[in-house]
Amino acid sequence: MQATLNTTEPGKVTFPALDMLRSERNMIGAHIVMSLIALTFGIFMGPFQAFHRSPAFMASFAEFQIPVFSYYYQAVTVHGVMNALFFTTFFIIGFTYYVTQRSLQRAIKSVFLGWLGFGLMLVGLVLCVVTVSADPQDASVLYTFYPPLIAPPTYYIGLVLLIVGSWVATANVFITYLEWRKEHKGERSPLAVFATISNFIMWDIATIAVAIEVLGMLLPASLGLIKVTDPQLGRVLFWFFGHPLVYFWLVPAYISWYTMLPKQAGGKLFSDNLARVAFIMLLVFSIPVGVHHLFADPGVSEVSKFIQTILTLIVAVPSFMTAFNIGASLEYAGRQNGGKGLLGWIWKQKWNDPVVAAQLIAMLVFATGGMSGMINASAQLNIAVHNTSWVTGHFHTTLGTAVTLTFIGILYWLLPMIRGRKLFSTKAALWQVYSWGIGMTIFAASMGQAGLEGAPRRADLGNSPYLTDLAKNWLNLTAIGGAILLVSSILLFVNIIGTIFFSKQPVVEGAPIETRGNPNAPAILERWSFWIAVTVVLAIFAWGPVFVQAIDFNNGWNVLRYLPSGLQLK
Amino acid sequence: MVLNRLEKYWLTAVAVALGAYTAALIAGALVFGIHLPSPVGRIDPQKLDSTAFAQPGIHNIGGNRYEAYILAKMWAYDAGPDAGPVGAPPTLRFPVGSEVTFYVTSKDVIHGFYIEEHSLSLEVVPGQIARGTINFNRPGTFHIICHEFCGAGHQIMYGQIVIE
Repeated sequence: MQATLNTTEPGKVTFPALDMLRSERNMIGAHIVMSLIALTFGIFMGPFQAFHRSPAFMASFAEFQIPVFSYYYQAVTVHGVMNALFFTTFFIIGFTYYVTQRSLQRAIKSVFLGWLGFGLMLVGLVLCVVTVSADPQDASVLYTFYPPLIAPPTYYIGLVLLIVGSWVATANVFITYLEWRKEHKGERSPLAVFATISNFIMWDIATIAVAIEVLGMLLPASLGLIKVTDPQLGRVLFWFFGHPLVYFWLVPAYISWYTMLPKQAGGKLFSDNLARVAFIMLLVFSIPVGVHHLFADPGVSEVSKFIQTILTLIVAVPSFMTAFNIGASLEYAGRQNGGKGLLGWIWKQKWNDPVVAAQLIAMLVFATGGMSGMINASAQLNIAVHNTSWVTGHFHTTLGTAVTLTFIGILYWLLPMIRGRKLFSTKAALWQVYSWGIGMTIFAASMGQAGLEGAPRRADLGNSPYLTDLAKNWLNLTAIGGAILLVSSILLFVNIIGTIFFSKQPVVEGAPIETRGNPNAPAILERWSFWIAVTVVLAIFAWGPVFVQAIDFNNGWNVLRYLPSGLQLK
Repeated sequence: MVLNRLEKYWLTAVAVALGAYTAALIAGALVFGIHLPSPVGRIDPQKLDSTAFAQPGIHNIGGNRYEAYILAKMWAYDAGPDAGPVGAPPTLRFPVGSEVTFYVTSKDVIHGFYIEEHSLSLEVVPGQIARGTINFNRPGTFHIICHEFCGAGHQIMYGQIVIE
């Protein structure tokens, strides 16, 4: 069943349903395996941090140390950088290569670019891990890396390589798509590809800001080429990128929910057109909302904060549309499976299929994440929760569950495809999915409550003198959530290793891929130059005044550089 | 593009909910006077000596109204000699019913300034002056907590406000 991809005539390649072509397998497999290695570094740092913050746990095990990355802020840095940046990016690009090739029924345009992007990101990952390992205290600047805290240059170079590698990958997908379009004039692309293109356009625009921040401010400061920075401008540049980043994670999960889950659940998608409208809205509105991360900043005007609050409410609309569209699709599937009455379709979902269950749990938890997100984004309520552990609770329901658990659901069919062997243990996968849902619900809810009681986020609370008794109780509960998540993570890796090395049965089920676009989709939705223009104009309208205010045209930069250990750099 | 009837209802409900949300935000700002931190002015962290932050502390500006100048640095708040020994977590005392405007800036890196159980949450960015006003209407002891990561001693950076 194996064949070599004929890259000169990509339109002619036939993709076997149950097996992968060799170059396809190598490229996608490499990205997925690297994403899992990044996840290994990141995921296990989570529960141990929760233990370390729990007063009851530390009272019982006074000698406890976080394994491997034992300095608290080092563990936080590794957890954030590896999970949120490297795991997600490697996984999304691997998944996208699969979806693009299979949906368009053609090989990616350039195998060279594929490996180039992979190589850049791999070197980036190694640099970041080595830097944070070698210099626990002074390299631990967290994944938001605000100036004037300065890490070693290799940390920033690693991050730049990740971004540049991802640009190469997005370019590869763009040229593959453009070539398909040339050969399919007047056709609509399959929904999954449509969503990918909108997501990658958004990513490329948004990452420009963080590239400017790192290359223009942080890396030169770290190398000693400049002695001063402007932290307010740094934060503005970071959050221009920081909020689209979360949609960059979320859209691939939406791709699975919209284009795969309906089939996996035994039905079909309710409305393809509205799905396209939702993805376009995510492209246009995910950038001009980042100021809602800067509500407490002194250098951003209240007017800008208000404008971007309203825009944030608008970017919630596509998610509400998704809730309806996927809900209707699942209802249809449930009724096909024999569900009767008003709610009978709920019980007739495939709750015992880990691929489906993972996504259903992801959605249920995401409903709470959406609500807490609305609270974060509403300017005035934000004062009560800003930078408290409430926020940590929030994004463990969104990134930590909605996105990650969906990716795990994808992994449960994609990894067997790559390996050509069935999933090692369906039972372990089910236990993993449900324990993740339960553990994360406990963890996120109690982190949220601790935040409302005044516990700040990303502080080594095990050594903090100011916690109230109530906050301490909630932190103890987060450790219980963390313990459940530790078990869940172990189950996940048992299955990964089992599937790669010990599974004997062949794959029997094809991937849930759509190869045709909806011919009735409005043509305007796929006119990308138009949407890019709208996105850029809106971004300039929302961010222009913020940048003008953040830049000190009179005095320039005047903030000296500091190491996280407290030393001022001369 | 034809919309399903139920979907129309749903989108209408979403629009109404978000509209109500917006109305609540506008009311919060205009009717209840809840304000977010907004630009007060820039400051050169290398030349603090020529500013009000050269001598942090509390000033009564008439009646029950106070201004507090606080300088954040790795890893303590400096609220002047009346708030306790230098380098130790400061204790600020105000009578019940005080209206206090805090002016905070940083000498080195980004810090946070969060007061427990009160609506005050500031990012203290070097080069910028952060300002926030609150009314202390009930007695008690409330922590000031640094809630932005500021390096190795972040977890021990705090202070206290005593309302009596």
